[in-house]
Amino acid sequence: MFGFPPQTRELKMISPRKISLLFIALLIFCFGLAANLLPQFWRIENENHQSQNFFALLLGDSSRIFANSFATKADAYYHSGYYPTIFDNNSAFKTLHMAEDTGAVASHNSGEEENFMGPPRDWIDAFGRHFIPNRHTHLDEGGPTDDLSKSDEVREILPWLKLSAELDPHNIQTILATSFFLRTKMNKTSDAEEVLREALRSNPDNSQLLFELGRIRFENYADTFRARNIWEAALRELQKQIVQKKEDKLDFDDRFMFEQLETKLAQLEEYAHNNGPAISHWEAVKIVSPTPEEIQKHIDELKQKTAATNSPAQ
Amino acid sequence: MKIICAVAGVAVKELYRRKEFYVLLIVTILICLVMGSVNVFNDDKVIRYLKELALLLIWISTLIIAITTTARQIPAEKEQRTLLPLLAKPLSRNQLIVGKFLGCWVACGLALICFYIFFGALAASREHAWPLLNYFQAALLHWFALGVVVALALFGSLVFAAPSSNSTICFVIVATILCLGRYLDAVALAQSEPIRSIFYAIYFAIPHLEIPFGMRNLIVHNWPLVEWKFIALDAIYLLAYIALFLAAACLVFRRKPVN
Amino acid sequence: MNTILKTEKLRVEFKTRQLGKATTKVALNGLDLAVQAGEVFGFLGPNGAGKTTTMNVLLGFIQPTGGAAYLFGIDVRQPIARQRIGYLPELTYYYKFLNAEEILRFYAKIFKIPNAEAEKRIDFVLKLVELQHARKRLIKTYSKGMQQRVGLAQALINNPDLLILDEPTSGLDPVGRMKVRSIIQRLKNEGRTVFFSSHEMGEVETICDRIAIINNGELKAVGSVSEISSQHGANLEKAFLDIIGFQPEAVA
Ligand SMILES: Nc1ncnc2c1ncn2[C@@H]1O[C@H](COP(=O)(O)OP(=O)(O)OP(=O)(O)O)[C@@H](O)[C@H]1O
Ligand SMILES: [Mg+2]
Repeated sequence: MFGFPPQTRELKMISPRKISLLFIALLIFCFGLAANLLPQFWRIENENHQSQNFFALLLGDSSRIFANSFATKADAYYHSGYYPTIFDNNSAFKTLHMAEDTGAVASHNSGEEENFMGPPRDWIDAFGRHFIPNRHTHLDEGGPTDDLSKSDEVREILPWLKLSAELDPHNIQTILATSFFLRTKMNKTSDAEEVLREALRSNPDNSQLLFELGRIRFENYADTFRARNIWEAALRELQKQIVQKKEDKLDFDDRFMFEQLETKLAQLEEYAHNNGPAISHWEAVKIVSPTPEEIQKHIDELKQKTAATNSPAQ
Repeated sequence: MKIICAVAGVAVKELYRRKEFYVLLIVTILICLVMGSVNVFNDDKVIRYLKELALLLIWISTLIIAITTTARQIPAEKEQRTLLPLLAKPLSRNQLIVGKFLGCWVACGLALICFYIFFGALAASREHAWPLLNYFQAALLHWFALGVVVALALFGSLVFAAPSSNSTICFVIVATILCLGRYLDAVALAQSEPIRSIFYAIYFAIPHLEIPFGMRNLIVHNWPLVEWKFIALDAIYLLAYIALFLAAACLVFRRKPVN
Repeated sequence: MNTILKTEKLRVEFKTRQLGKATTKVALNGLDLAVQAGEVFGFLGPNGAGKTTTMNVLLGFIQPTGGAAYLFGIDVRQPIARQRIGYLPELTYYYKFLNAEEILRFYAKIFKIPNAEAEKRIDFVLKLVELQHARKRLIKTYSKGMQQRVGLAQALINNPDLLILDEPTSGLDPVGRMKVRSIIQRLKNEGRTVFFSSHEMGEVETICDRIAIINNGELKAVGSVSEISSQHGANLEKAFLDIIGFQPEAVA
């Protein structure tokens, strides 16, 4: 008696709810597709000015802020979530720990990672600490399980690093870390090299990137010739920079880079049995090293060895 | 008890006859799948960023479900005038409040189970592990936290006339607690005197929902289990707030005219 | 005879704001009512007289400012006073996401009716209000008349001894009114008490044993239909207008 006429019921079949649901699904699908494909399109179109990628374009100048926060996120993942917030004392986390491990970045940290939270402020704070990551661990050392066989879990920081590098191609620490972990923990040497070469296109004269690239050539391919060339180029760039700065004292970071480069070059020459150049590189290391006596000892050993190998020939 | 269950049953039925829950579940799943298809250096084992995203979406979705379903319960009964025939039955107003609370809480629990099953499957698809106890700990405290939110929204729905303003206020309060709750005391320390005491009072008065919220990090990064006694203590702590808000709701509703 | 519904010096005040000024509106002023078991009691009064307000007090929806009300001798503030009553509100809608059967089952649970008995009861009341064909359809697909009948069905679910109906026939077509009237008649024959408000004098004349007329929250007359109409020497409608002090000449 009160039933709807049949046509009305037919019309009701496609309810607005269903339509909106379908619409949302479609929207998500499109966005996903766009997020996946657009960066590639941009790369093809803007082959020549590679700093103009999709995200950077979308976010404009604020992309640097996002890039930094993603790099921090990666470092927090590196610590399995044990990380200071803006409310904590973060002096132990000034330099990204993951970048520090690459050996190309000097540390500015205070070294007090274990107590950045300080003593509990009150009972709620004390109680809450049972429910958050509360121990200083590094992912490439097994994370909270301390199980070294799980060191490849460091892969988990890669998405953030990738995002950060994409947003800000001038953020050297991120790129160094990305390349370092790809190479040392994930066995993706070619990916690691690709990341560095991509970054060198935007930062052609960066000695840190060159340093890392040289390491790949030397440590993974034993390609002493290219490695030497790259490192020497790095050294030249570094010297150029130092001269430009016109400061009477070497700054901390440059000094660290200089020491690393000279050490690597010395090791390379030793490996190639060129003891003469090796000794001169070690001499350079000695000037900046905090432990010149040990370097001197090594130099003396080398000199003896050279003498030993040369004397039978005489 | 039978009465309370009957009232709760209707609230649960309402949740699954309405479409919000399905929409939120599907949106969460779709976003996760889309994000999961992003290529990270050809490494198909990277999962933690996805786990974090999924848990965040799950928290947001369940908060939306908890607040919106609860906030409209009693206002809708008033507006659609279903409250009159209901209260004309031999049921006390306290039973109505408790029944509504239980219904919404159980409904949230059911939604939570669906969400966490999806989460477990997502994580297992790449990690090939089911740390069920860890998930259980997180989901349990998540559920208790939602209980506090439901009780708060129920109380709010009796104080504020419009469900929308109530929902908004609840969202703001809950979001503030989740983001700032843990640091309010640290913020207080940096203030000068009258403000400092106010901040401290707020810090000790609010339900610290950020404790269950923070457990996301433990799950994302595969930390070991939290000691069960702490889980139990936190559950009791949250239950106390549930009881408090419910008592306040009963008190407000007790003498309120409903014509 | 025992008194099933009783109010004593019932007084209800509403505090309202008019143009920012707090005013007090007296909706009920010392109302004394007594309804005996087994009678059909008509509750009459012009719009705004306080009929709905009286029922709201009886059902515990609002607290009286003064006086007291009892159902079955129990103070209305106790939920148990509502165990044996059925109530049909003035205007209602029912849960849109449930069907008729589920609503009735839900209400049966609140009355703590055992399941098997509840199912029988549901069948019975649905048949009584002629909604069997639509029992599994969601309420939101019902017409107004059907919703009104769901209301009547839910009021009868617990087999109540006292029915409180607020304008049960308003908004129904003549056939619907007839049906509601016959249901009330049937309940009366079963020995139940019905307390209902109405504006329909014809309806009241045919089915009521006794009536009360209120105006401005005060009881003006109470008695059987014939007593009241004979006191004012005419039919009930004339008597009603007389009692509430309405002068037809003033309009003309
Ligand atoms: N919540 C309220 N706040 C203020 N005044 C109210 C409230 N409810 C009712 N009133 C007033 O109380 C008086 C009695 O109202 P009531 O609803 O009882 O009338 P009624 O007899 O049922 O009328 P009708 O025949 O129109 O249904 C009216 O003047 C009304 O304006
Ligand atoms: Mg009325």
